[in-house]
Amino acid sequence: MKAAEKLEKTKMENTIPTKDRIIAWPRMGRIDIPLKALLVSLGANVVIPPANSNEALELGVRNSIEGICLPYKLNLANYIMALDKGANTLMMFQAPGSCRLGNYTKMAQKTLKSMGYDFDMVIFDMYKSKMKQTLHAFWHVTHCINPWKYYKGFSLGFNKFFAIDTAERLLFYTRPRELHKGDAERCYEKWLKITDETNSVWKAKGLKKRIIEDFKKIPINKNKEVPVIYLIGEFFVLLDPYTNQNIEKELGEMGVEVQRQIMFGDWLEHVLKPSIFYRKESHRERSVRYSKDYMKRAIGGECIETIGDTVYAAKHGIDGIIHISPFSCMPEIVAQNILPKVSRKEDIPVMSLVLDEQTGKAGYITRIEAFVDLVKRKKRQKKINC
Amino acid sequence: MEKKFQYTKIGIPRAISYYNNYPFYYGFFNSLGIEVVLSDKTTTKTINEGTKYVVSDTCLPIKVYVGHVVNLLDKGCDAIFIPSLQSTDYKINNCSKIRGLPEIIRNVIDREFTMIEPTLDKTENIGLYDFCTQTANACGIDDKKQIKTAIENGFEIYNNFFKMTQSGVSYNEALENSINGKFITRSVDIVKPLSVVIMGHGYNLFDERISLNLIKKLEKMDVKVYTSINVSRESSLNAIENLGEIQYWANELELTGTAAHFLLNKKVDGIIALSAFGCGPDSLMVDEIAYHCKERNMPLIHLTIDEHTGEAGFITRIEAFVDMLMRKKRSLISKKSKPAAKPAEIVTLNKEKILTSAVK
Repeated sequence: MKAAEKLEKTKMENTIPTKDRIIAWPRMGRIDIPLKALLVSLGANVVIPPANSNEALELGVRNSIEGICLPYKLNLANYIMALDKGANTLMMFQAPGSCRLGNYTKMAQKTLKSMGYDFDMVIFDMYKSKMKQTLHAFWHVTHCINPWKYYKGFSLGFNKFFAIDTAERLLFYTRPRELHKGDAERCYEKWLKITDETNSVWKAKGLKKRIIEDFKKIPINKNKEVPVIYLIGEFFVLLDPYTNQNIEKELGEMGVEVQRQIMFGDWLEHVLKPSIFYRKESHRERSVRYSKDYMKRAIGGECIETIGDTVYAAKHGIDGIIHISPFSCMPEIVAQNILPKVSRKEDIPVMSLVLDEQTGKAGYITRIEAFVDLVKRKKRQKKINC
Repeated sequence: MEKKFQYTKIGIPRAISYYNNYPFYYGFFNSLGIEVVLSDKTTTKTINEGTKYVVSDTCLPIKVYVGHVVNLLDKGCDAIFIPSLQSTDYKINNCSKIRGLPEIIRNVIDREFTMIEPTLDKTENIGLYDFCTQTANACGIDDKKQIKTAIENGFEIYNNFFKMTQSGVSYNEALENSINGKFITRSVDIVKPLSVVIMGHGYNLFDERISLNLIKKLEKMDVKVYTSINVSRESSLNAIENLGEIQYWANELELTGTAAHFLLNKKVDGIIALSAFGCGPDSLMVDEIAYHCKERNMPLIHLTIDEHTGEAGFITRIEAFVDMLMRKKRSLISKKSKPAAKPAEIVTLNKEKILTSAVK
């Protein structure tokens, strides 16, 4: 109990007056759009660091230790870039009891202080009593006491998350089937822009419907035979297109429909919503149910989700699995050890890809191509046998 | 009524938690009337055997663990004790691979055997008593009184072991004596010219094959070696607090705690960090200590080991480090005893040197 109490004490020292706060947070995929909406409606000033790129990665690698995992290096680069742009408050969630993620903020604070930056880091815990902690963190940075503003901010944020998730799902479905190459991508980019610009709750609630209608207008070949591949693995790597070298696009252009079970909106809803209002079976509960034969306990990170999704996929006629993880990620190494047996027993092809800052794109694409060929052949074989 | 099958023999792999908790396990199982079978000591063959089963990214200690389990199965053991130590305190968790040891073994080894897999998870309120009850139940023992006395017996041996090590008895000697029910102490502290502290997990450090006999090698060079077993739990917790850090990992006491204790009381001349390649917690903990070492001007060397580590290169690095420590200590002593040279002399000396080199 001691260490946890201490954490709570250290994080609430208020050093910067609320008016002067300029808030930034690390990038992961497109989470900047909903978070910006939330914080702006609470009346805060925000700075958005540039999207993850080679430059950012280089900056992160230069300032972090050798053995740490890839997401930290990118997070650190985001902080540095945001601080250079004028931010003075950094926000980050953490979840002790998962993996090295719980140590990210501690390390980043130390590194940034030794680099000579002056800032305040607001950390909120995602372990238990999440909604309370999260609200408290947002109150701490904005000192906003108007409940209507909180309602507006959270509802805007959530609806934008769901809109982005819907657009992403439709993009995965449409991309391999589209008749004119690039239609789906353009439509997705357009809707991201519209989502970003929306700032009324009423309009944000209607976004999802409008996105679905718009995607339906894209001409597609409905009879095309498209193999379906599940993308599973570590949270950050899955959700950040730079880190996974845009694997979804590559697969889509090879004529494969990608499906992803980890979506940020869904995850956030499950984590933040009090359990009384959350009636359906969450992703984690489903994973625990499906992975029963292989795992008896959760071991941190997304290991149990990885195994559960693989079994779920095999039982629902999915053609293949691609498992991606950053180099030296501890929970995913355990998953990698278990996956061969799952693959053998459930009869589903699985490929593990390990990513780090030195991953070459050419070799990566070759492996994906070979795997897609295997999946397609297997699908055809099944059809003949039937 | 169905009669529960009782295991009279249980196998414990000589890896991971064996090195920290074996005295307790021994006392506990013996009191329950269960014979403990240990696997053979780690050899290169064990490592090769383990490497066959797991993916290449897995770290060395886990590969060794798998090798030991295979060794036990080859010996004819049909019940193996594989604990899952999730967290040792509220929100203080272990590395995922240690937490998931039973999961790895179950899915990696395709043989028929019973796995006794108790869970210790204090974050979810599964304490030591539950851990022991799970173990005993899996062996077919339900008597609560018997379990309680077994825990007490386990702790007796465990405490004896730690009392011995804290007085300066070496790991192997203390283990042997505590298991045989003897108690010895070292009252005389041997003074050596140099002393270092090794920060490393017990399963890396006390395994003679994994650590390539690091402790003995250092002792041969006339260096006094301190390890995690020489520091009590309280003092390493205090040391972490005094250093301004927060404990995050379950085995942080072995690494940061030990190093911090000796860093703060200035009993040692240098710190050696020993970690396996690709170890997640170590990458953070060693960095943390390195940061404080830089501030306090303490030399630190980080040795990384994997299954391919060559002994020759390893020795060279240790020798170089020890030489450096020796030179540093000598220069410190000579600085204290002699008055500093005048600045003018140094200038002339430098000039001469430059001249001679130019002439050549």
